[in-house]
Amino acid sequence: MVKRCFNPDINSNNALIDPHRSMSISVEGKTEDATVSLGQYILIEGDDDDNPFVAQLRKLYTDGRNMPCFSKKTAVVQWFVRMCEVPQNKRKLLGRDPHPQEIFFYQDRSCDNEVDGETILGAVQTAPATPRTPRHATPSIPSRSAPARKPGNVLEEARARLHVSSVPESLPCREQEFQDIYNFVESKVIDGTGGCMYISGVPGTGKTATVHEVVRSLQQSAEQDEIPHFHFIEINGMKMTDPHQAYVQILQKLTNQKATPDHAAALLEKRFSAPAPKKETTVLLVDELDLLWTRKQNVMYNLFDWPTRRNARLVVLTIANTMDLPERIMINRVASRLGLTRMSFQPYTFKQLQQIITSRLNRVKAFEEDALQLVSRKVAALSGDARRCLDICRRATEICEHSGSQKNGSGLVGMSHVMEALDEMFSSSYIAAIRCASVQEQLFLRAVIAEFRRLGLEEATFQQVFVQHQALCRVEGLQPVSVSEGLAVCQRLGSCRLLLLEGSRLDLFLRIRLNVSQDDVLYALKAD
Amino acid sequence: MSKRRSLTEAQCVSLAQKLLRERLCHQKLPDRPLALDSQYKHLLELLRRTAVHGESNSVLIVGPRGSGKTMLLGCVLRELMSLKEAQKNVLLVELNGLLQTDDKIALKEITRQLHLENVVGDKVFGSFAENLAFLLEALKKGDKSSSRPVVFVLDEFDLFAHHKNQTLLYNLLDVSQSAQTPVAVLGLTCRLDVLELLEKRVKSRFSHRQIHLFSSLSFAQYVDAVRSQLSLPPDFPDPKFSDAWNHSVTKLCEEKSVEEILRRHFNSSKDFRSLHSLLFLSVSRVSVSHSTLHEADLLEASRLISADSKAIILHGLSILELCLIIAMKHLNDTYDGEPFNFQMVHNEFKKFIQRKSHSIHKFEKPVVMKAFEHLLQLELVRPVDSGVCKVQREYQLMRLMLEHGQVMEALQRYPQCPTDVKQWALSAFA
Repeated sequence: MVKRCFNPDINSNNALIDPHRSMSISVEGKTEDATVSLGQYILIEGDDDDNPFVAQLRKLYTDGRNMPCFSKKTAVVQWFVRMCEVPQNKRKLLGRDPHPQEIFFYQDRSCDNEVDGETILGAVQTAPATPRTPRHATPSIPSRSAPARKPGNVLEEARARLHVSSVPESLPCREQEFQDIYNFVESKVIDGTGGCMYISGVPGTGKTATVHEVVRSLQQSAEQDEIPHFHFIEINGMKMTDPHQAYVQILQKLTNQKATPDHAAALLEKRFSAPAPKKETTVLLVDELDLLWTRKQNVMYNLFDWPTRRNARLVVLTIANTMDLPERIMINRVASRLGLTRMSFQPYTFKQLQQIITSRLNRVKAFEEDALQLVSRKVAALSGDARRCLDICRRATEICEHSGSQKNGSGLVGMSHVMEALDEMFSSSYIAAIRCASVQEQLFLRAVIAEFRRLGLEEATFQQVFVQHQALCRVEGLQPVSVSEGLAVCQRLGSCRLLLLEGSRLDLFLRIRLNVSQDDVLYALKAD
Repeated sequence: MSKRRSLTEAQCVSLAQKLLRERLCHQKLPDRPLALDSQYKHLLELLRRTAVHGESNSVLIVGPRGSGKTMLLGCVLRELMSLKEAQKNVLLVELNGLLQTDDKIALKEITRQLHLENVVGDKVFGSFAENLAFLLEALKKGDKSSSRPVVFVLDEFDLFAHHKNQTLLYNLLDVSQSAQTPVAVLGLTCRLDVLELLEKRVKSRFSHRQIHLFSSLSFAQYVDAVRSQLSLPPDFPDPKFSDAWNHSVTKLCEEKSVEEILRRHFNSSKDFRSLHSLLFLSVSRVSVSHSTLHEADLLEASRLISADSKAIILHGLSILELCLIIAMKHLNDTYDGEPFNFQMVHNEFKKFIQRKSHSIHKFEKPVVMKAFEHLLQLELVRPVDSGVCKVQREYQLMRLMLEHGQVMEALQRYPQCPTDVKQWALSAFA
């Protein structure tokens, strides 16, 4: 028979309920007592002797009457089942092969969680079921041992200021757009109504930064009680895995609740349509709107429909790249709800770009005037993307730093540095690649062009080119290559995309096209 | 010293082989990348600034396959990690486009390698959306001066551009362009047109910094590289053996025939990976009885490497199959590359048997068919439209996957080829 007794030394005050941390039991067939402690998995007497139940010990206490011999020992447990207890037909639901000692959480109202201490048979070794995600994990990157080094000289200072991430307090050259958006949002917040606005423009023209600036200054005036308080939420279509995740993120940012997309949509619907006496205006920024497109367009529809509700008090600002997005991808009822409040951000002109850089540098003298003008003119001519402009300036400071020791110039970033940076970032690398290719690769390119000329087409099969290649080899006095080698040369050119190839299984009959213009190839091959 | 002297010849040879094997096939990092000085400096400086100043950056390393992209990066990271300031600060996340085939897998891998708090043991739980939100939140919380910089290495970068919406690239590059945790995004790719694959908003966030690795080696430098690749290092335990070995390597490289082989290799490709496979094949012929590298080893290795794969298959065909190939070659000549079917080939073959052949028996049609099917299996012959056809097998249109020259060369080399078959092949038309 199993005999048990409590450890009297632990926590033995005379309370009515007397908790313990562990309990010693003597196990059948062993002379020494075993100890079970909280958190351990234990065996509890079952319906028959061969199949005890498995449980985890949560709490141990005695009804502390003063005489220990009469006290009743009670354990609070959580029940588990072993794999052998799971019905045969349900095992496949698990979808994997469990460890023989693995156990599964079991919850049933008919089970009593408090058991008599007498029924505990001993501890048991288990492999717990698959661990679950920690509920309240905090997202964070570990911090570094020493703080980052601060910029040491003028060029480093300039580089830090020119980094795209150091957005200035107020964006230069976007005053008009700022004012328009500010007025729009401010009026809605003051009136307590809702509305939508669509903002478009090519990447790098300051759309998101301007909206953030508007919100920042509105929040400042709200703090000074000039306008009513409002709530700002931001979502980004690219930062979601699926358009419907928009609901989840909005809900989480509004109420800190987690829900499935469908449930979140229902909760938001309720929130925005129900009248509530004291409700703050919500300003919602939707970046990369085109990613929220679904076939039924219900996400977009909801986003634009909620502001029209009487009680919603929702201002939706949407940002995307193309100007005609509403007409192009939205069905009528969605586009009409978006309304006609539109704004488009024009690409920066060269003067604006120049002003942006100067304002960023803000009296740090690191650039020559002409150099700045060259960068801004070049970028304005190509795209008007401010990010590009800043990146080139940053690269130019690096080049200047490297050449500084040799030339001993003014220490400023000059024309030559900027030219080099522009060249590095804008020039196509195809010509350099062709020049550095091996002799056979160059010959193959020449054979491709020769075959194109002969056929008068822009496409040829490998077999046709190979015949030309062998002829060229003979002319050049090289040993002709075998088909395998020729194919390898062709594949190498294809893998770096100088040639466009079909699948290599076609072997002799794979079709070849040039990915560069013939003139570029001829120029690259001739110049040496 | 006594230990050093006690090395036997066999031990020396096996040690030398081990050293060279590590260099040639395990891609051991060299002390300093060859002929890539400016790229090395640029990349090191960039990563140093991320590690020390917390500056976010993005860069693409572009170069043909085998041009040393991974080697360059390995050398730079080794150097970076030896800096005291960077050592304990930098977190490294390595991804490969061939392994992380979609954003879901890539995200789990990033979370795992960063040891974020939603990692249990070695597993990442939670849905794709939760993982993304968690990672972005973690990166957003960090700032330039206080959180550890993360270096993301994306090998086979072009494959990441094929993921849905390029979500991962957008987010990584967006972090690199905003005031969050400092990150350096390094992409490695062999495609020159990789920027054209990026969506415009992703492209705008990329810094357009590209490091190109085109080898501009001259032949003399190439031979030098071969010599240094084969030479034993000065700290080799047995100086006598290593001196003898290095001397033989130097002499080998000056040899005319070796130079010819190397020139041929250099002409076909400048990349070091194919050179390594050539050298490896020759080094593997070294043994105790043959303890230095000879010219014949290189010759043999080069012959193995540059052999035409189809010529080897042709070498192992039976006479009947060879005859069918010749018949097909004639058909190709007569009808100018038009596709043919089995019946035509068979007719051609029958004509040859009836008129000319004295050495080949008259084969039954099913036997010829079987031989033809064997050629089909070897993919020396391929159907024109690979779809499942309702056409009978005899009448299915086929193409010969061989060059004219390959057939003729195979015939020359074929062991004991009957003269009449040879003559038939040489005669202009059947």
